[in-house]
Amino acid sequence: MGKILESLPLTIVAGVILTVIMIFGADVIQNSQMSVQEAPASEAMNSM
Amino acid sequence: MEAELYLIRLLHVISGIMWIGILWYFNFVQIPSMPKIPDEQKPAIGKVIAPEALFWFRWGAFFTVFFGLALAWRSGYLMDALMLNEALIGIGMWLGLIMAFNVWFVIWPAQKIALGIVEADAALKPTMARRAMLFSRTNTMLSIPMLASMISVQNPIM
Repeated sequence: MGKILESLPLTIVAGVILTVIMIFGADVIQNSQMSVQEAPASEAMNSM
Repeated sequence: MEAELYLIRLLHVISGIMWIGILWYFNFVQIPSMPKIPDEQKPAIGKVIAPEALFWFRWGAFFTVFFGLALAWRSGYLMDALMLNEALIGIGMWLGLIMAFNVWFVIWPAQKIALGIVEADAALKPTMARRAMLFSRTNTMLSIPMLASMISVQNPIM
């Protein structure tokens, strides 16, 4: 990690890679949060 | 309410430009230029420019976080973001908080020793200068996803 941070171009590349990971990671987290929130509703529907 | 949010967002953006602008000045201009500056001219950077830049840098960081949290609170999504129920802006907020922590509790204390603003063992100065540089670079790296996240609030990408 130190080697990457010593180089400004590598630091920028790492930042761009982190951005891509963050965008897709946030999508996964958002979808999993929605699944958790929807579960009680679907359980209630099933018991009707 | 709209005017209040507009004002808080404006102050958040102005503080953010101050903070990230100086962060990028350090990393894109000052640090790469230091080896090219003659030794007799280096005190101009170390004794005058860097301390002044660090003042606006750390208070820019403070007020960016202050107005950012105020904006999220008054907009009603502060807790949802921090709990990652609003994942993308939440990750950006956590990145901003980590970066501000680095500024106040790692970079600034290390720079105070490296620049001789506080009394310390001279042998510590190179270690502290390297620590400040590495954490400054870490913040430069994190600033890219942090800014991408902030923009996503008004321009959703997914």
